[in-house]
This record gives sequence, structure tokens and C-alpha cells, in this order.
Amino acid sequence: MQAIKVDESFYKVKEVRRLTDETFSLRLPKSRFRFHAGQHISLGIQGDYQSREYSIYSGENDEHLEVLVKEVKEGYFSPKLSHLKPGDWVEVNGPFGKFRIDEKKIKDHKFVFIASGTGIAPFRSMVRTYPELDYQLIHGVRYGHEAYDKEEYAPERHVLCTTGDKTGQVNGRLTKYLKKATFDKNTQFYLCGNSNMIFDALELLKNKGFDRDQIHCEVYF
Amino acid sequence: MSTIKKKVAFKTLGCRLNQYETDALVSDFDQAGYEVVDFKDAADVVVVNTCTVTNQSDQKSRNIISQAARNNQGSLVVVTGCMANNYKEKLEGQDKITYVVDNERKASIRQLVDAHFQGEILHPSNLEGDVFQFSTVDKSLHTRSSIKIQDGCDNFCTFCIIPKVRGRAVSRPLPEIVENVKNTLANGFKELVITGVNIGRYEWEDKRFEDVLEAILDVPGDFRVRISSLEPDGFGNRFYDLFKHPKLAPHLHLCLQSGSDKVLLRMRRMYAYSRFAEIVDRFRSQWPDFNFTTDLIVGFPGETEVDFQESIEAIRRFQFSHVHAFKYSVRKGTRAERMEDQVSEPVKTARSAELREASEQMREAYLKRFIGRVQTVLVEKIDSKGFASGYGEHYVPVRFKAKNCQKNTFQKVRIERLEGEGDNLELLGQLVED
Repeated sequence: MQAIKVDESFYKVKEVRRLTDETFSLRLPKSRFRFHAGQHISLGIQGDYQSREYSIYSGENDEHLEVLVKEVKEGYFSPKLSHLKPGDWVEVNGPFGKFRIDEKKIKDHKFVFIASGTGIAPFRSMVRTYPELDYQLIHGVRYGHEAYDKEEYAPERHVLCTTGDKTGQVNGRLTKYLKKATFDKNTQFYLCGNSNMIFDALELLKNKGFDRDQIHCEVYF
Repeated sequence: MSTIKKKVAFKTLGCRLNQYETDALVSDFDQAGYEVVDFKDAADVVVVNTCTVTNQSDQKSRNIISQAARNNQGSLVVVTGCMANNYKEKLEGQDKITYVVDNERKASIRQLVDAHFQGEILHPSNLEGDVFQFSTVDKSLHTRSSIKIQDGCDNFCTFCIIPKVRGRAVSRPLPEIVENVKNTLANGFKELVITGVNIGRYEWEDKRFEDVLEAILDVPGDFRVRISSLEPDGFGNRFYDLFKHPKLAPHLHLCLQSGSDKVLLRMRRMYAYSRFAEIVDRFRSQWPDFNFTTDLIVGFPGETEVDFQESIEAIRRFQFSHVHAFKYSVRKGTRAERMEDQVSEPVKTARSAELREASEQMREAYLKRFIGRVQTVLVEKIDSKGFASGYGEHYVPVRFKAKNCQKNTFQKVRIERLEGEGDNLELLGQLVED
């Protein structure tokens, strides 16, 4: 007999970790929750009919289940999330998605993670889950202080691109860096962020001769 | 139950999966002693199997429910299907509806109705939830029967409400599928359609979609297998090789949704246009007449004229024999609901008309290829003038003079000409004498 899997659960918020004025991470207990780095969850607030999807920001073996949220001031949902306090209930549905590392490739492939803004979330999860990963993280933000949890990445693996100040290694959009960069043939590319960035980066990588099968995308809206 | 047979009528909206589930319910009620009557006729029980994939589906479902209640006052009106999941509380509040049964419990509707006639009012939530416990179809208006191998979807395309109403992806155990296939063939069906919400993502133990297909093809008997709607995911060599099997029909309904990579990305589809092209090209390089049909969405938020023309170009490039075109409609709770640049209704309507025209041209061109060639037709009906009609292995509609042949038999027909227009195009032929 095949019963429908009921996978909605309520979790108590453990911590709201402020990263910038607009961005915070929500930490939930992880005890029962299993996922693969790169996947996302659907998050609801108790008593509210709406929900939103967020990539998981924590590693598979971390003690918390964590998501990274940027508050959209005129938005409906993220301001509500930003008012949550430890002890409040949220509803978690998932995990979802195929945006995952192929573990068989870890040994002999390089990984390039390309993120705009909070699109860095799945990559932090991947880096924390697979310490042996040979990766480079290219992160595009407006200001340098939006390089969330930058200290967790080895400096030589982290390329920060800033458009609003000159604190990044690259002053400009991450595509400026991609245009000049060279990558090994056996690189697996993971792109996460807004659709314009993903589309531009995809075109650049295809023009550099990389196959679409090497490029994995997760679009944020 | 009393000795007078209770009458039950059904109405189905939407996809092939819904149709299959209704067929299974028809069989279940029939075996339990109910008389199955036409939807237009008076019935003691009316089951409406709804759809919610677009606004139009909601509207149609609402109309049918009203019609069912109006024509059968005092009878049981059971509403099930995806709309029942999506608007459960709203529907439960309507006096004209007796029971609202969600998809998970759809297979238990007969038990609910039996209990009702025995004076026991059950709440549908107390029914057993199992999306694969449907009866084997033995009484159907069709000559082909669906085999449900999977339900639900985890893809979360930004336009789609289906993961919300059909739930997470679940796969039916392979031994149960094979058993279901054997029983369905024993009931006389000659064509099986592999069905589910996202069948390409079948996953049970170490078995994948190709394993299911192979196991079904290996069942002995004179039958053929068709694959229903499929996502253009990465198919391995094995998938292509399976089409060498004589029982597997050379036709795929491969969902493209848009010819524009930008739109596909915003739809959160898992492929690019080039991947779709690779699949089509690989099939057509081996089987030039392989039939591809598809779904296309018109007027997705942000779709520009350039994006739309890429969809038109795709119809020509891939020579689809049929395009199921949907005008995009906002579905509450999906990501696309919150997207900017919604396309206006007049623009969507104009684009739909243009798309339909391109699609009809391609359909005509595709069907013409079969003139002078032989198709193996499964006879679906024989009209009063003695003409048999059905579909060939390529899923092309064929009509011919029956000459002693029976319904639900395979007949070799040489195609002579094409008749009709638009959606009513039909190939006409002659039986090939042995």
C-alpha cells in the first residue's frame, strides 16, 4: 500500500541571526529533518495562509536547519519572517529540488558556484556538507557587507563582486569576472540567484564552450 | 443495498490521469452492483472528477458541479479531483455538494457511497488514503487503458499548482504495476498508456522509469504501450533503445512549455531549448517519423514578442503533430503569481490564435507523410455506415471501411488521403488484406 507522505512539520524558531540590516538567517532545530545540500524548503508562518521557498543555508550535518532571508520591505512575507522571535512556530514543507552535488563527481571535478545576493545559500550548505570539495565561489552583491558569512570560505576560493562599492575583488557585476575567467574543462557550474544573472552567466559559460549538462541552475524570484 | 440497482454517473475534467482514475471508479462501482449511466441521465450518485490546472478548468469544474446538482436534485453529489484539493473548504461549504473527496482518497469513493446508502455518514477524511489502490479498469468507454505508475510532482515549476493538489512525488511499487498490467490485459485491453504526474521521475527502490517500461514490455501478449506526458529530462541510451521494442509506440508527448530559454528559466523548468532539441533530433535521426506532441504555455509573465516567436519557431523546428496550448492563468500560491510583467488577456488571445495556426499547419504536414504507408490501427469504434476509426501506432487518427473487423482489434491499414481540417484532420485508408 502506498500512502501519501505527509511532510509538513512545525518547528520552533531557535534563533534569528542578523547578518545585515536587511538580511538575516532563521535557525530551526534540525533533529528530524533530512535533506541534501542545495535543496530548498517551503516555509510558512503559523496562522498565515501563504508560504515561500527558501534554499537551505546550513550543512547536512549541522545542528540547525537554517535559511537565509533578505527582507523585501514592500513584500508580504519576508517582513513577517523578520519579526519572528525565538519560540515562534514556522511550518516547514520539503525538502524539495534536484539542485544537488553529484557526489560521484567530487573526487575528480572542480566546482564553481555562482551566486547573486542570497543565492549564496545553497552553496554554503554544499561547502559545509562536503569539506573536500574543490570549489570556487563567485558572489555578486551590491555592497561588501552583503558577503554573508564570508569568513567561512577560504579567501583563495571566494571571489566577491560588488557593484555599489569598491570592497570586492571585482568592482562590477559577477559577469564582468566571468568574462575574463578561465575554468577547467571538467568544471561543474552551479548558478543560483535572480533570473537575469543566471541567464547572462549561462550565455557566458556556453560561449566559453561549456556544455549545458555541466551547468546547474536554481532561480530565485 | 436494496435489490434495485442504484445509478451512478461520472464526469471527468482535465488530464489523462484523472480519466484513468474515473475509469477505475467506474469499474469499481460496476463490480459492486451499481448501474453506470450517462452523465446526462438521472442518477442516484454523481461523481465529478475536477481539474484546477487553469482558471478555465476551475470555471468548467464549477459549471459541471452545478449542472450535476441541478439535474439530480436529492441525489449524492461527490466532488473529487484537483479542484477538491485546491478549494476543499470552499466546496465543503456548498449545500449542493454532498461529499468533497481529495485525490488521496479518491479510490475509496465507492466505500463512502456504500456507507451513505447504508445510513452511515462518513467524513471523507476517515477514508483510507492511497493514491494507487484504484481497481483495475474493466469497463471503459475507451479501448486503451492507463496504467498509473506514479503520482505527485516535486518540480515546483513556477506556474504550476499541481504539486499542491497532487502532493509530493510517489512511485508505485514495480510488482504492483506489473500485476496491474496483467489484470488490465486479462480484461481485454490492447493498448496501455503509462500514466502519472511526472512519470520520468519514477523512483522505487533501485528501479527507474526505464525499468518500469521494460518490465511492462516484457509482459507476454498482443498489446502495445504508449507513454503519456513526459518531461524532457536527461534520457539515457537505454531509454532510446527501448523504442526498438515492437510493442512501444513511436510517439512521445514531450512538454516544452516555451521555446524561449529565458521563459523556461522563469518557469523553473529543468531543461533548456537545446536539450529538448537534442532529444527530438536523436529520436528523429533513428525514426524520422517519430511523433512528438507537446504542451506550450502562451503569455507567461514577462513573455515578450521575441520569446513568443521562439515558441512558434519551435513548433516548426520540431514539427509537432499536436500542440496543447494553454493561455497562462495565475494560480494562487505559485511563484508566478507574484511575478511582474503579467501579459494582458488580449495579447494572450492573439498569441494563442497565431500559435494554433502554426500548430495546425504542422499537424497537416505531419499527417500527410503517412499517405501511401501502412499503420497498425487499434479500432476504437465502428459507425453506422461501417467505417472503423482509431489510432495508428504513431498516434495518428485513421478511418477506414471496416469489412468484418471488430472493435478493439489491431488492423493494418494503407493510408490513401487526408480529410478534414484543424483538429478534425483524419487519415483515410483501406484495410490491407492478408
